[in-house]
Amino acid sequence: MNILTIVWIALPFFVGFVGYLLPKLARYLSLGAAIASLGYALLLFTQPPLSLQLLDSFGVTLLVDQLSGFFILTNALVTAAVILYCWHSGKTAFFYMQAIILHGSVNAAFACTDFISLYVALEVISIAAFLLIAYPRTDRSIWVGLRYLFTSNVAMLFYLVGAVLVYQASHSFAFTGLSAAPPEALALIFLGLLVKSGIFVSGLWLPLTHSESETPVSALLSGVVVKAGVLPLVRCALLVEEVDPPIRIFGVGTALLGVGYAVFEKDTKRMLAFHTISQLSFILAAPVVGGFYALTHGLVKAAIFLITGVLPSRNFKELQQKPIPIAIWIALVMASFSISGFPLLSGFGAKVLTTKNLLPWQVIGMNVAALGTAISFAKFIFLPYEKDKSAEVNPGFWAAIALLIGGLFLANVVYYEAYTIANIVKPLATIALGWLAYLLVFRRTTFKLPRLLEQFDHLVGMMSLMLVLLFWMVMA
Amino acid sequence: MLEACVFATILCGFFGSILKKNLVMKIISMDVMSTGVIAYYVLIASRRGLFTPILADVQKGNYADPVPQAVILTAIVIGFSIQALMLVGVMKLARDNPTLETHEIERNNAP
Repeated sequence: MNILTIVWIALPFFVGFVGYLLPKLARYLSLGAAIASLGYALLLFTQPPLSLQLLDSFGVTLLVDQLSGFFILTNALVTAAVILYCWHSGKTAFFYMQAIILHGSVNAAFACTDFISLYVALEVISIAAFLLIAYPRTDRSIWVGLRYLFTSNVAMLFYLVGAVLVYQASHSFAFTGLSAAPPEALALIFLGLLVKSGIFVSGLWLPLTHSESETPVSALLSGVVVKAGVLPLVRCALLVEEVDPPIRIFGVGTALLGVGYAVFEKDTKRMLAFHTISQLSFILAAPVVGGFYALTHGLVKAAIFLITGVLPSRNFKELQQKPIPIAIWIALVMASFSISGFPLLSGFGAKVLTTKNLLPWQVIGMNVAALGTAISFAKFIFLPYEKDKSAEVNPGFWAAIALLIGGLFLANVVYYEAYTIANIVKPLATIALGWLAYLLVFRRTTFKLPRLLEQFDHLVGMMSLMLVLLFWMVMA
Repeated sequence: MLEACVFATILCGFFGSILKKNLVMKIISMDVMSTGVIAYYVLIASRRGLFTPILADVQKGNYADPVPQAVILTAIVIGFSIQALMLVGVMKLARDNPTLETHEIERNNAP
C-alpha cells in the first residue's frame, strides 16, 4: 500500500510530462491516470488509514483515510468526466497535460498533512489553473487568470508567514503543531486557506473566475480545485479542537452569503459559482462528515457546469423563451434535484448527514441556506423544454454526464440509513417552499446586486479586512 | 528591531499591491512582499546561531537552523516562476492595454 500511494501521487505528474512528448496519446494517458486515481480512491475505503513519512524527519508527510478517499474520488470522477467532455473538442495536448497535472496537484493537496507540502501543492494548483483559464489566449481569459493568480499568490505569502510561526513554536511543519502555535499563526494560515478555497468575503474572486472560464475548466475549478483548500481546513478542525468553532462560524456565514447572491443572480454560470461558495460552507459546517458532501457537490456542480455549456444562452430570461431539448432538460433536472436534497439521489443522504452533525446554533442558518439552494435551482427546473427536439451535442458530453449522474445514484449506498419518513419529509418541504418562493417572488425580481466588491483592488483589500477579523476571532 | 523591519517590508509590499494602479507595479509590490517573507524565514533560521551547518572538525559556534532555509528555497523558486508567468500574461495584455492600468483592463474585460 505504501508503494501504491507513492505511485498514485507521482503518476499524474509523470503522465503530464510524458503526454507532452507524445501529444497523440495525451488524452488517453490523462484518462488512464484519472481512472487509476478512481481505483485507488475506491481501494482506500477498504483499507485502514495510512500515514507516510517520506525522506526522514523533516520530510513530506502524507495521510490517506476515508475522509480524503471521498475527496480523491470526487477529483478522479470530475477529471475523467471533463476529459471525456473534451474528447472530440480538438483541444491540444497542452490542455490535457495541464488538466492532469492539476488533478495530480489537487490529489497531493488532499493527501499531505504538513504546511509546506500543502503550500507547494496549492501553488502548483494556482499555476496549472491559470494555464487552463488562459488556454483560449483571449485578453479576457488572461486577465481573469492573472487576477486569480495574483490574489491567490498574495494570500499564500501570508500563509507562509503563518507556517514559519508554527515551525518556530513546535519545530515541525505538521498540522498537529497548530495547537502549540501562537494565535497569529492560526490567523495567517487560515487567511491563506480561506482565500484559496473561496470562503466568505475573501472568496469573492471566485464568481468571475469560475463563470468566465471555458465550460470544462469551470467544471474542474468548481468541482474539485476549491476543495483543495477546504480539506486542510477540515483536517485542522478535526485535529485541533480550538479551531473548530471559528470554522463552523465561517461555514454558516459563507452559506448565507453565497446563497444570498445566488438567488438574485440572472446569469447561469455566475449563479452556479456563487452557489459553489455556499456549498463549500456545508462541508465546513460539519467537518466530521464533510467528505461525503464534497463528493456529491463535486459531481453535481461539474455536471451542471458541463450542461450550461450546451444551453443556448447564459441568461435565465432568454432561456425562458428558448425551449431546450428534453434529454438535456432531464439531465439538468436530475442534477438540480440532487443538490436541492431530493430523495433517491445522493445529495439527499449528504444533506441529512450534514444536518445531523450540526450544532444547535447552526441549524437555522443552514436551513435557510438549504431553502436558498432550492430557490436558486428552481430556476433550472422550471426552464421550458421541447419533446421532439433532439440534442445536438458531441458524444463525449453524454459519456461525461452519465459518469457524473451515475456516480450520484451509486453514492447513495454510502448512507442508506438516511431513508426514514422523518428525513424524507423535511427536504421535500424545503424544496416545495423553495419552489413556491421562486414562482411567487424571485421569478419576477429584477433586482441586481452590485459587483463592486468583486473588483480587483477590493479583492486584495478584503484580505486585510479578513486578516483583522481572523485576528479578532483567534485572540478573543 | 530586525523583525520590525521585515514586517515593514511585508506590509509595504502588501499596501503597494493595493494602492498602485499599474499592473507591473502591483507585481513588483508582490515581489517586495515575498522578499519580506523570505527575509523572515532567514531571520527565524538564525535565531539560535549564524554559522552554516556544515559538519567539520572545528566547532565554530552555534549553527543556523537549516530547515526554514531549505523550505524557503522551494518558496523562492515557486514565487519566481509565478512571477515569470504573470509577466508573460502582462506582456500579452499590454498589446491592447498599453497603459496597463488595472481599472482600464478591468473595464474592458468585465462582462
